[in-house]
Amino acid sequence: MSRPDATAGTDDSTDSADEPLISLENVEVHFEKEQGLLDLFEEPDVVRAVDGVSLDIQENDVLVLVGESGCGKTTLGKTMIGLQRPTGGSVKYRGRDIWETKAGNTDLSFDEIRSSLQIIHQDPGSSLNPNRRIVEILSEPIRLTHPGVSAGERRERIYSLLERVGMTPAHDFADRYPHQLSGGEKQRVALSRALLMNPDVILADEAISALDVSLRVEMMDLMLDLQDDFNTSFVFVSHDLSNARYFAEHGDGRVGVMYLGNLVEVGPAERLISEPQHPYTEVLRWATPNLALDATEAGEPPMRKIDIPDPINPPSGCRFHTRCPKARTACPKEQPELETHGDRHLVACFRSDEDHEYWDSPEIED
Amino acid sequence: MTIESQQLTGADEVEDPILEIKNASVTYDGGDTHVLNDVTFSIERDEIVGVVGESGSGKSMLASAMLDAIPAPGRLSGEILYHPDEDTTIDVLNLSDEELRSYRWADVSMVFQGAMSSFNPTMKVGSHFKDTLRAHDEDVSEGMDFARQLLSDLYLDPERVLDSYPHELSGGMQQRALIALSMLLEPEVLVMDEPTAALDLLMQRSILMLLEDLKEKYEVTMVFITHDLPLVASLADRMAVLYAFELVEAGPRDQIIGQSGHPYTRALLNSTPNIDAPLEDMKPIPGKSPAPVNVPDGCSYADRCPLASEECTAFDPEFQLIEDEHSVACHHWEQARAEIALNFAGADEIGVSKGGDSR
Ligand SMILES: Nc1ncnc2c1ncn2[C@@H]1O[C@H](COP(=O)(O)OP(=O)(O)OP(=O)(O)O)[C@@H](O)[C@H]1O
Ligand code: SF4
Ligand code: SF4
Ligand SMILES: [Mg+2]
Repeated sequence: MSRPDATAGTDDSTDSADEPLISLENVEVHFEKEQGLLDLFEEPDVVRAVDGVSLDIQENDVLVLVGESGCGKTTLGKTMIGLQRPTGGSVKYRGRDIWETKAGNTDLSFDEIRSSLQIIHQDPGSSLNPNRRIVEILSEPIRLTHPGVSAGERRERIYSLLERVGMTPAHDFADRYPHQLSGGEKQRVALSRALLMNPDVILADEAISALDVSLRVEMMDLMLDLQDDFNTSFVFVSHDLSNARYFAEHGDGRVGVMYLGNLVEVGPAERLISEPQHPYTEVLRWATPNLALDATEAGEPPMRKIDIPDPINPPSGCRFHTRCPKARTACPKEQPELETHGDRHLVACFRSDEDHEYWDSPEIED
Repeated sequence: MTIESQQLTGADEVEDPILEIKNASVTYDGGDTHVLNDVTFSIERDEIVGVVGESGSGKSMLASAMLDAIPAPGRLSGEILYHPDEDTTIDVLNLSDEELRSYRWADVSMVFQGAMSSFNPTMKVGSHFKDTLRAHDEDVSEGMDFARQLLSDLYLDPERVLDSYPHELSGGMQQRALIALSMLLEPEVLVMDEPTAALDLLMQRSILMLLEDLKEKYEVTMVFITHDLPLVASLADRMAVLYAFELVEAGPRDQIIGQSGHPYTRALLNSTPNIDAPLEDMKPIPGKSPAPVNVPDGCSYADRCPLASEECTAFDPEFQLIEDEHSVACHHWEQARAEIALNFAGADEIGVSKGGDSR
């Protein structure tokens, strides 16, 4: 299998003084499916959740991962922040391999990495202890990062952060339990808790998907404002291209499109949306509702099948070939590499190469 | 808000209603908590209507009202009239238990919010279909043939799906199987409460496309209820907007999107992330919607509305017809249209030039 080796979006990744915050090289995450006793003598099924991804994240960076359910976005995100151990390749934090650090083989402490890399989940409720008041939930990270701080000072910091995230009056919210908050408010608490760790990177995993559409812009604005205040980078995972656009356009971020464990297109949001190069990005564009009246009706989708194939035995060659409306017989033969297509824009599709044998091969018909 | 408009107002303008909801209210706590407030709305035969509203606005209450299935101990008042054909009227709130059971599957069928929990995890999908057929004294083998037809209409492999446990299917497959199940007794109306909310956008859009095909093929009237206005806008013929347990606007899709008269509808349109509106024009709606025990006098939207006047806090705006088939509950709808600009291309231009570039 070919291994795409592009360090996405960093124009000067050769400059070692400008070391990326996080650097992924050829990362693979393969899960073995649990087997029953009867299957003992068979090859175990392997889910290739992430398969050969290389990517850098800089200080104050914004990266949005998009793709449909089951394409590996969350696994890749978790691997970036050290919550998931890769089965192949390396993940480095400021030049140190995260898992070597955990084994005690670098000059950095693993705790430091742990607190630098934070996550907020899709379902904020499940990550907040239901039996503790908001003020107690938020005290914990301060105790961890600033053990010397007095209780009074902690309370003050919490109140001012609650105010900062729009939960006023702060003393009222501070004394509530999670079940006394709306979905949006819980998500603000989860965000506050992550920020109190002074992280370098926050992984927001579908963090706004459970909110009403009308509340999403507000939540994204808040995260972006806080990014400026706290100097954090964001990895924002979403299945919705219009949210991806909104989030990534701020701060000159990138959008990475994932399909069955691979990055298939990476680029600046506006370009990726207005001139999608990969046929799968076009599918995501089709799926994004548009209010412009002449464009509200969706029309036929630009794909041949509705369901994503099983990641256990992903299709050979270009993994999109079973659904791609433009697939030709060259597509199942080898995997297209992620290659530069103009400034900061990378695409993995044979159609980007004028001389590829793809052009001389016949179309695939079902 | 006080209930003062007992007369039938604007929304009742459809020509051949299949379902009429008249002055429907739902209360809890012995009448102290209003979670649906005097909603009057008709559903036209063979249309797809989209009902939108934010979380807690009463969407599920409205859906349940249509089937007389308000969760206990809620109390539903008003009238629900079902017209199997133009000349027949069935008073749903006065059906016997037995009649109601048949009405809920064979006449007006429902796909509930949180579909994954609608399947029994210990039963194969096929057994759910068979049980439903038996419970309604239908011919099982004939019914299963139709089930297979429905499943393949929804781009599923019928044998595989029927022979699977729910958890063996992806979320999108489960949801489509559930839609097939709700169509099993060939209902005239399909009411869907957030049928796609837990799915990724690509699957949501694919399901919408399939629903449109189903509607054509089986001539079923559809009610699609969601918080996601842009999503349902791509499917609906007509739309209705709920705010704080009341209907604030209803009309043809293009009117609601391009020419809405209620400040809330316009704010909602501007607050949704959009694929080509300028980013700086996407604005959240300030403030919060009122809690069910605390609905203010006058217009419920007044404390968030940029156009609120003294009239607004003193008098409930009546739900009135402002033009063909288009009703709005707002004292200042003309001003809203003139002063609250919409942020996407083509808005406010229908009737003038179609899909022009207002940017
Ligand atoms: N069993 C109940 N007893 C009392 N109040 C209830 C009950 N169920 C719902 N409510 C209240 O009724 C109001 C309307 O609820 P409903 O479920 O119809 O909202 P919704 O618009 O469907 O919201 P969502 O988008 O979150 O599903 C809410 O304020 C809710 O808290
Ligand atoms: S390589 Fe072939 S199958 Fe893959 S996206 Fe390009 S055209 Fe489609
Ligand atoms: S009636 Fe008044 S407060 Fe209510 S929406 Fe209209 S202008 Fe705003
Ligand atoms: Mg609901």
